[in-house]
Amino acid sequence: MRGHGFLLANYVPGNSVIHRAPLALKFLLVVGCGLASFLVVDWLVSAAVLAVMSGLFLLTGAGPRRLLAAVRPLLAVLLVIGLFQWWQLGGPTAARIVLNILVCVVAASLLTATTPMQRLLDGVVSLATPFRRFGADPERFALTIGVMLRSIPYIAGAFADVRDSARARGLERNPRALVLPVFITTVAYARQTGEALAARGLGEAED
Amino acid sequence: MATISFRHASVAVAVDSRPEPKTLLADVTLELTEQRIGVIGANGSGKSTLLRLVNGLVQPTSGTVTVDGADTVRAVRAVRRQVGFVFTDPLSQLVMPTGREDVELSLRRSVRNGTERRRLAEAALDRFGLLGLADQSIYELSGGERQLMALAAVLAVDPSVLVLDEPSTLLDLRNRELLRRTLSGLGQQIIMSTHDLDLALEMDRVLVVEGGRVVFDGGPAAAVETYRALCAAGLAAP
Repeated sequence: MRGHGFLLANYVPGNSVIHRAPLALKFLLVVGCGLASFLVVDWLVSAAVLAVMSGLFLLTGAGPRRLLAAVRPLLAVLLVIGLFQWWQLGGPTAARIVLNILVCVVAASLLTATTPMQRLLDGVVSLATPFRRFGADPERFALTIGVMLRSIPYIAGAFADVRDSARARGLERNPRALVLPVFITTVAYARQTGEALAARGLGEAED
Repeated sequence: MATISFRHASVAVAVDSRPEPKTLLADVTLELTEQRIGVIGANGSGKSTLLRLVNGLVQPTSGTVTVDGADTVRAVRAVRRQVGFVFTDPLSQLVMPTGREDVELSLRRSVRNGTERRRLAEAALDRFGLLGLADQSIYELSGGERQLMALAAVLAVDPSVLVLDEPSTLLDLRNRELLRRTLSGLGQQIIMSTHDLDLALEMDRVLVVEGGRVVFDGGPAAAVETYRALCAAGLAAP
């Protein structure tokens, strides 16, 4: 299946200061960027924060291509949001909103590019552990995130395949020929994933 | 070797267009104790259903299936700890973005310490010569590498029984040979469905499934002959 070559949140091995930073600090950075996106009101400040975050990203040695790969899937959506906000609220606000979203994406990429998946999942398990008293299973939290990160590229690939099939049959303008097969493929994939997890005894309630 | 017992096991599913449930497998009674057991039969004959019963992925609608006395319905967790399952398409099985992460995922339940988990995952990958591919996207691997990766992820938790549902169907000749050699070096009890009759001939015991029934149970040469005769009869029928 085409379109699966990219991975959402793939780890880039390295030994930079950010690779070695405590996971909690990186989590805090992501949360901090998320909160700041509500508080920052000047687009110039947003641009400066984005420049700093991009600089930090490049400091990891992951490279500009990896940074671009994290941002590229969002560009079309950001363009639509930016134009809509420009029309509704003006240029500076539109710029601030778009830049703040980019800051969050770069911060999240900084975390995932410098943290191996299993360490990330261990971190999620630690964060979710206090909720155990309310009946939550922290391992399921971690598993859900892991499966989600794997599934998004799969669905993107399914869409690319279906679009090619529709084009080959001259149906590229028919929404049914695009949406329905992707929907069916996604449901089948979800079933297969569930079955694969069950076969390995994963995702079941803890003993 | 584990003892896998089927006692009058049947599987039927409701089908919207039919008033009666459709029987996928009918009244199977078997005791499997050999190390290498093959299951052959046409597409849709019930091979996968038979295999899925062993791991508890499918539950019998009547009768029982046990693995060393553990019932696949009542003690499904214990059964799944003992029985590993390899699917036809490794992309359905590998649920993490890279092989290393997938093998570590298998170990999460049994090994809490992250460093130890990493060490065991690397050992499992190294066993199949996959350590160099550990951090590659699973989409960048060849079909054979993916299938071996899926096998490594299942074997990382050291199951005593390995069930494989047509593991070589999507592989080219070279990768099929690689898989065959890998499987022949394993100490686990293996139950495998296959369309590769050469592979079936290497088994200790072979079951032929046809129309949801085990129509032959015995040595590999006689089983393959029976299967060929069934196929020929099917082609000859109007």
